[in-house]
Order: sequence, then C-alpha cells, then structure tokens
Amino acid sequence: MSSIMKIENLQAKIGDKQILKGLDLELEPGKVHAIMGPNGAGKSTLSKALVGHYDVELTGGDIIYKGKNINEMEAEERALEGIFLSFQHPVEIPGVNNAYFLRTALNAKRKHEGKEELNAAEFLRLMRDHLEMLGMKSDMISRSLNEGFSGGEKKRNEILQMLILEPEVIILDEIDSGLDIDALRAVSEGINKMKDGKRSFLVITHYSRILDYIEPDYIHVLKDGRIIKTAGPELVSQLEEHGYDAIEEE
Amino acid sequence: MNLLALKHKTLQELKTDLGIKNRDALLERFCTLGLPSKKSEAYRYFDIEKLLDYSYKTLNYIPKNPEVSEIIEIVDGVVVAAPKGMRIYNEACEQIDMDHFDPLYYLTHLLSPQTIKIELDGDTEVEIEHRFTQSGTLIDYRIVLYTQSNRHATVYENFISEEIENTLVLYGYDMHIAQDSTLRVVKMHSMQDDGYAMVASHKVNVAKNAHAMFKSFDVGKDLALQLLKVELDEYAHVDAGHLLYLNEDSKRGTVSQIVHVGEHSTSKQEAKNILDGKSRGIFDALIRVEHSAKYTKAEQNSKAILLHDDAYMVAKPQLEIYIDELEASHGATTGQLDRKQLFYLQSRGISYTEARKMLVIAFANTLIEQVKDTRQQERIKASFEEAFYKGNM
Repeated sequence: MSSIMKIENLQAKIGDKQILKGLDLELEPGKVHAIMGPNGAGKSTLSKALVGHYDVELTGGDIIYKGKNINEMEAEERALEGIFLSFQHPVEIPGVNNAYFLRTALNAKRKHEGKEELNAAEFLRLMRDHLEMLGMKSDMISRSLNEGFSGGEKKRNEILQMLILEPEVIILDEIDSGLDIDALRAVSEGINKMKDGKRSFLVITHYSRILDYIEPDYIHVLKDGRIIKTAGPELVSQLEEHGYDAIEEE
Repeated sequence: MNLLALKHKTLQELKTDLGIKNRDALLERFCTLGLPSKKSEAYRYFDIEKLLDYSYKTLNYIPKNPEVSEIIEIVDGVVVAAPKGMRIYNEACEQIDMDHFDPLYYLTHLLSPQTIKIELDGDTEVEIEHRFTQSGTLIDYRIVLYTQSNRHATVYENFISEEIENTLVLYGYDMHIAQDSTLRVVKMHSMQDDGYAMVASHKVNVAKNAHAMFKSFDVGKDLALQLLKVELDEYAHVDAGHLLYLNEDSKRGTVSQIVHVGEHSTSKQEAKNILDGKSRGIFDALIRVEHSAKYTKAEQNSKAILLHDDAYMVAKPQLEIYIDELEASHGATTGQLDRKQLFYLQSRGISYTEARKMLVIAFANTLIEQVKDTRQQERIKASFEEAFYKGNM
C-alpha cells in the first residue's frame, strides 16, 4: 500500500546538536505506527520535525506528505493539510478562550478545504458532544486554553482538538505521560474513535502501557537518531523483557 | 496662532497675546511651568514642540442649544446634542487645581475661560462623542464633570474626525467625584491617520469614600498624550487602567500623578502596552503619598509587549512616599510574544497573523473585560482588531 507520509534519510539538529541522523520511515494509511526508544534517541525531535517546529533545523533528507515534499512548509500549512501533533507538554495560554481557539482553528481548516465555516452555535454543539465522550467538564468551553488544567485535562484537551480537527496524520508525543488509568482509558477511547482505516497514527512512547489501549500495527525502534528495527506488535514484549540495548540494527 | 510663539513670554505679554484679563494666578502658574518642550519632564518622550510650532486657525466657540440625542455630541469644542434633561452649561471653571504638573492644563484653562460643565444627575450612564471637523485648526476646550453624592455614574468617551489634517486638539476634564459616589470613565480612542494630534490634560478630585475608575483604550497610530492628575481624599479609591496598542511611527501614552492626600486612600494603576512598527509607548506615572495619607495602599504596574524590533516603550513607574504607614508596590516589564504559545496556535492551522492577534488580545483582555457593558466591550475589541489588521496588512 502506498504511504501517506514518507520520511527519507531525515537529518535534523536542534541548536548545534545533530539529533536525527538519517531516519527512514513510512506511514501507511489506516495503520498505527509506534515509535519506541530510549531517552535522547530523537523521538520528540522527530515529532517536532514533522510539524515544522522552530527549534528543529532540517539538515538533510525529505519529508514527503501525500506525494509532496513539505520540508519548507510552514507549521500552520502542515496543520491545514492534515498533520496534527498532540504535544507532550501543551502550553498554557491565559486569555485565549478554549472554544474560541478551537473554532478559529476548525474554521481555518474548513476554509482551507473550501467548506463553509461553522457559526458559534453549530460549533458549541459539536464541542459539547466530544466533551461528553471524553468525560470532560463543560466549563472547558469557557476556560482559557490549558490554563490551570491538570496534566490529564491537558491531554484530554489535545484529544478533543484532534477529534474536532479530524487530521489525517496524527502524531501522539508521549500521550500517556502523567495520565491515571481513567484518563488513559478516556484518551485512548478518543484515539481509537479516530481510526477509520484511512488515518495514520504515529504513537511516540517510552513505555508499552499505552499500546495496551491503542493496538499498534508496527513497532519502530528509534535509537541514536535512526530507526534501527521495524517489526509487528510482538516486538513490544521483547523490548519489555530485554530492553533497547538488546535490539540490534537490521 | 502659533503656540510656540508663547515661549519665554512675560505674564504681561501673554495677557496681551491671549487677550486675557484677570487671570493672573493661572498665568503665573503657566509662566512658572513654561511652555512644554523636550526638556519638560512630562513631555520628554513626546514631540510636543513640533505640534506647538504650527500656525493654527483658531475657532470662536459659540454655545448652541443642543439638539436632543441619546449621546452628548461635542463638535469642535461645542456641545451640539445631548440627552433630554441632561444638565449641561457653559460656565467658567470654579475649581482649578493650582498645583497641576502640566503647563497645558493651565494653557487650556486660559484659552477656554468658558468650560462645558456637565452635572451627572443620579445613577446615570452617558456617552460623549468628540468630533473634529476643521483642518489646520487649534481646537481647545475643557469639560467640568460633577457627580452627586451617593450616586454612581458612567461616562463612555469616543473620538471621531472628518477628513481633516494638521489639527491640534487640546482638551481635558476637571472631574469632581462627590463623597460616597462612583464615577467610571471609559475612554476609547482609535486613531489611524485621523489628521489630528491630541493632548488631553485632566484633573480628577476623588472626595471622601468616593471611587473613580478611569480606563483608557488608545489604539492605532498618530500622536496623542493624556496627562492625568488624581487627588484622593480619605478612603477614596482610584482604579486606573491604560491599554495601548500602537503601530507604525505613532507616539502615544499616559503621563500621570496619583496623589494620596487622605488616610486610607487606595489606588491601583495598570498599564498594558502593545507596540508594533516603530511606535513609541509612554507610561510615565508617579504615585505620591503625602504626609497626611497614612494607611495608603498603592499598586502600580506596567507591562509591555514589543511586536517589532523598532518599537520602543518608555515605562517609568515611580513612587514618592512621605510616610511609613502604607503598602505600596510598583513594577514594569517589557517582553515579546511567547514563541511557544505562538507555535501552538499555528500548529492547529491558525495563521501567523491570526495567532499573533489572539495572543495580543489575550494580553489586553484583562483590561478590556473590566468594561462591564458588553456593547462597549465589543466596540473596544472591534477597534482593537481593526487597528491590528491595519498594522499587519
């Protein structure tokens, strides 16, 4: 099957430090790809590189999304084209209303797709439905974006945005960090709801716990800036048992 | 009239030039302070001399019988419309502060011996619209506002000009907030190549147990300065907030003195400044606590966001304290938009311009949301957005 995103020989640095050193990865439509790896392997740099984060400087290679090279594409354009990153640490933005922010983002996307924008009432209906599904309180509508949110609320809010924006490539950076079991279940439910056989997921994680809830199709081991092994879900138990050091490059 | 020609004139010469009789005390005070220049403390960061050095036409202010309207309309310094029953008179100002720091406070009193006196009856809400229609003209007028004891009044102020150029507006209030009363003043001043510059020099007397709220929203470009002196009696309170959003090469801001005279008086002054282009924002604010003002509480803060490398903020919060029994704090910060926040919004498909606008409005919102009237709040937000988009075209 042709890939929705193809990453070829990607090299990237943050500041003076070369982090990605020739990373190859193909994301298939409708599949869940899990990236696992030790601390400092480059997992978060990869997610930042894919969404055009200002910290990351690409020094080589290509990111091909739906057949188009997006190396130079601005972050907002990547988002409009359907790439979504659920941040490991979502920022708090006091004074920006959560609902207003999300409606602005959704309408920007709808406009980009040539669809009619949603008015406030239509949007609120949509938001309320999703809030209920994620077990979020309705005061999330009027609160400032992520301000004073607990770790779990922030992650649920990321998933809420994902559900409403309906992206095509979903990158989940340490989505399980700081979540209790209930929150993890709700977040996973939201993610699983997005599986439609077309969307592609890139789940970046340290631990296998999240993979009990979101069943992966592929496991990729990222070490020292490169994917050193790709296998099926059975690789998870091997990693649990022997650790990353035991994995040899293919 | 070229106002710069008044520089270094003697009292007698001024009397002759301005055609003034029997106002020696005011003239003396004006002579003592001198015509403002770059060297004047209050005008150090504002190009006042350029504004004064121009041959302006002058106007004859002939009072009219105001038409009935929902708002008070002042056109070129003359009241042309007012709500039915509103008590508005043209009278000499009875209480002029003889210790104001601003020479133009005295000059406007000298130029405008007849002031517009407005008595705010009962609990009332009134909108004042200032309209300027004359090019190359010096428009000078003063307004005297009185509230009644135990009453709560609100004044919304806005400004409109009609395709004019090279006009200078000198105006100002003398506000007398009676004992146990409240006066809220919300000033919305949007300028975008409006063809006039403005210097507004105010004096606010807050009587015992009275509350004053003065919120100014200055957005856009051009040149404008407000100079504000507030005097607080026992248990009096002032809540002053100043929002500045400037673009291009504008110079605008606030120079103020809040003077605590009575015991247990309290003041809060907050300035939020957002500066784009080559603009310059001014917040030069002094809180003075007199010997008589024991148990004062005073708080003063200025925050600025610079959206462009060439933007410049002059923030001078100052305290002058003559007693020990008080609580006082002041501070100023200047920074830029948070890059992480900006990126977060962009990563959701929001354009750079829109994301900047959202963050700028978020910064300003704490002041805008203090305006309780939603219609006025929307009007402020709309002016703010309009100025933002004009500056980001």
